[in-house]
Amino acid sequence: MKHAHRWGVLALVAVLAAALAVGAAGCAGKGPAKEKPEQPQVAVYISNEDPVVYWDPADACSNEVIVHNEIYETLIRYDPVADKFEPVLATDYSRSPDGLEWTFHLRKGVKFHNTGNEMTSEDVKFSVERAVQRGMGVSYIWDPVEEILTPDPYTVVFKLKYPAALDVVVASSYGAHIVDAKAVREHGEDWLSQGHEAGTGPYMLESWEKGGDYVFTKFPDYWRGWEGKHFDKIVFKTVPDAATARQMMEAGQADIAPNLTPEQIEGLRGKPGVAITEAPSWKTLVGPMNTKKKPLNNKLVRQAISYAVPYEEIVNTALQGHAIQSSGVIPKGLWGHAENLYYTTDLEKAKELLSKAGYPGGGFKLVLTYPSGADDVRRAAELMKASFARIGVDLEIRAMNWEQQWDLAKNPDPQKRQDILLYHWWPAYADPYDNLVNMFHTEEDILFNLAYYSNPRVDELMNKARETAGVDRARAIELYRQVQEIIMDDAPQLCLYDRKSVFALRTSLKGFRPNPAYQDVAFFYNCYREGE
Amino acid sequence: MTEEAARRAGLGYAWYLFRRNRLTLAGSAVVVLLVLVALAAPWLAPYPGDATADVHPERALLPPSREHLFGTDELGRDLFTRVLFGSRISLTVGVIAIGLALLIGVPIGLAAGFFGGTVDEVLMRVCDVFMSFPPLLLSVAICAMLGPSLTNVMISIGVAWWPWYSRLIRSQALSVRERGFVEAARAAGVKPWVVIWRHILPNTMAPVVVQASMDFGSVILTAASLGFLGMGAQPPTPEWGLLVSIGRTFFLDQWWYVTFPGLAIFMAVLAFNLVGDGIREISDPRTREA
Repeated sequence: MKHAHRWGVLALVAVLAAALAVGAAGCAGKGPAKEKPEQPQVAVYISNEDPVVYWDPADACSNEVIVHNEIYETLIRYDPVADKFEPVLATDYSRSPDGLEWTFHLRKGVKFHNTGNEMTSEDVKFSVERAVQRGMGVSYIWDPVEEILTPDPYTVVFKLKYPAALDVVVASSYGAHIVDAKAVREHGEDWLSQGHEAGTGPYMLESWEKGGDYVFTKFPDYWRGWEGKHFDKIVFKTVPDAATARQMMEAGQADIAPNLTPEQIEGLRGKPGVAITEAPSWKTLVGPMNTKKKPLNNKLVRQAISYAVPYEEIVNTALQGHAIQSSGVIPKGLWGHAENLYYTTDLEKAKELLSKAGYPGGGFKLVLTYPSGADDVRRAAELMKASFARIGVDLEIRAMNWEQQWDLAKNPDPQKRQDILLYHWWPAYADPYDNLVNMFHTEEDILFNLAYYSNPRVDELMNKARETAGVDRARAIELYRQVQEIIMDDAPQLCLYDRKSVFALRTSLKGFRPNPAYQDVAFFYNCYREGE
Repeated sequence: MTEEAARRAGLGYAWYLFRRNRLTLAGSAVVVLLVLVALAAPWLAPYPGDATADVHPERALLPPSREHLFGTDELGRDLFTRVLFGSRISLTVGVIAIGLALLIGVPIGLAAGFFGGTVDEVLMRVCDVFMSFPPLLLSVAICAMLGPSLTNVMISIGVAWWPWYSRLIRSQALSVRERGFVEAARAAGVKPWVVIWRHILPNTMAPVVVQASMDFGSVILTAASLGFLGMGAQPPTPEWGLLVSIGRTFFLDQWWYVTFPGLAIFMAVLAFNLVGDGIREISDPRTREA
């Protein structure tokens, strides 16, 4: 019996081998057909997570930034490197001397997808008011706006409560996209969130499948036109496994992959047909500490922990140099960033502070949670564990999915929450206020102030800075520096590193220019293929 | 022939059967080795600190060499040390998870088989509910609910595994219950739980022991799977499944990272399955021929 069985297996193997050979031959036969010149130009973008969480641009606050900025547009676009605004749906804009009235002149002849409606001031007013009224995503960015006026179809006037920097709000990567008012009114309030779109952008939705491909095709009536070289189609693929993503890049099955692990990037370096592009990003790794629970409710202990983090090791080993140590709580490259405002790794100082706080030799345990699957964060956590052990603090590391760990952090009972939570944060729009208000402003209901930090002086200073930014940015930057000095001294949060965006690209992909204000967005309209 | 002699002859025959099967013998050798390694890990391992909190960033991702037999991981820890310590975790999980499954499954099976009727009906339907899920899926669900940790892995496997033992014990108890000595005990007025404990339990254990030895490999594999999915042991615990899961990212450039923990899982599971098969063959006369 046993022998017969063995022959059965061999036969099966033989059959499989034959099937494979036939399959391979079939593929080879189809090969030449691919090289026909009329083949549409398709660009493939690899995302390590589902590219869309919220389809409605008013609700967006997650990965969909990479998709929404291809199908929707904002009035203006911010270029943080040159610190300039480029006209998009608005041709120009002006600000009243007191900074309380902003007037935008709209581009004429801009059409919406599918309906062919022309974009007017009505749509701008509708989009903003709708975002505010839904109150989801980043609707708080519109807080300075008192009233929106539409004197004629091509003019929009924003009246503000205080002189905030409205240009960065209007250029926000989230929550500032203009939708087709008529289409949304016709289909109903929830139509967009069910997986439809109504934008003016260069690409429109063709099909999508959760966990699968998201396909977008060019919008023939796009206002910039289709002269010159462009892609006809763009496809977003979800590939959670970095090793698979890397192989796809090597094989030329994908054009662009952000968020690969440092190992995969280093492995791809020098491979034929693949280029590695580094760019600054505003993504930072933060570790809010539970200031409502012993022993981290003690400022000295928090400072000791801040001194015990092995910053250099994390940057060099966990991130293989794809980051720099954070300074202050606003990332480098965003206005308001404070230089030379960081903790060094100093274990002696940490021990001293622990003794002063009444914990000589440490002797307590802390629980740290991090989003499961984030391998770079896991490594940072393990390095922290090793370093904390040297000051007598036992760090327990737990991987949790994001929702779970966020829920734990929002638990009404502070004693049940974790002690430290590690996660990546990036601002929704190019304003330091976004980092400060979300993570350090006193919060009634906890959302992102996960250190439960409350300091009236900090609240006051950041609000004052925001209200000055529209007319006097230099003064605002000064105020933001003051706020950060207080925060760093209070140490409610570990500020680990500012990540560099590292993209793997096919060398045949041209025209790609990363913009840290629009995290990981490709802006495919500017890209084209050459060679290969 | 005295009773003692007969028992000895039985054992001798079992040993003969066991020895005759080379695969079983090889399996048991590996199992014995594994147990020894687990016990002596702190003395065998060249860098015991690497199993817990030590890191050496300057020695990251070194290929296998004389200093590091299995190479090092991304934080410079010796993988040989970590794999050795991993055997402790896998064996502990196996013993505790199966122990827990027996602890739940055996009393339930005994009660169902001995009392029969409504008790049997209710208990067996509960078993059916648990058995309608594949054990790995049920373990994953329980772990997701309780949160990821090694303790929860043991609990989840125990909870997912017990119905198989209940079923087995129940069928044994059903037949033992009708035997003369049980009837005699009951006729003499012995309390039911004493009958179960003294007469039924000892006579139902043989197949359970066989089943448990066969399950050991599957339990280790399940624990490794949970670790791989990030639902089990948490870093820096050197659990094999977790090592494979983390090492997976390095597969294309650092082959040693996944290979050695993977081989360890493979060897352990294979060895326990071979031993389990051997024990089953000995205990079941029908499989002895050939």
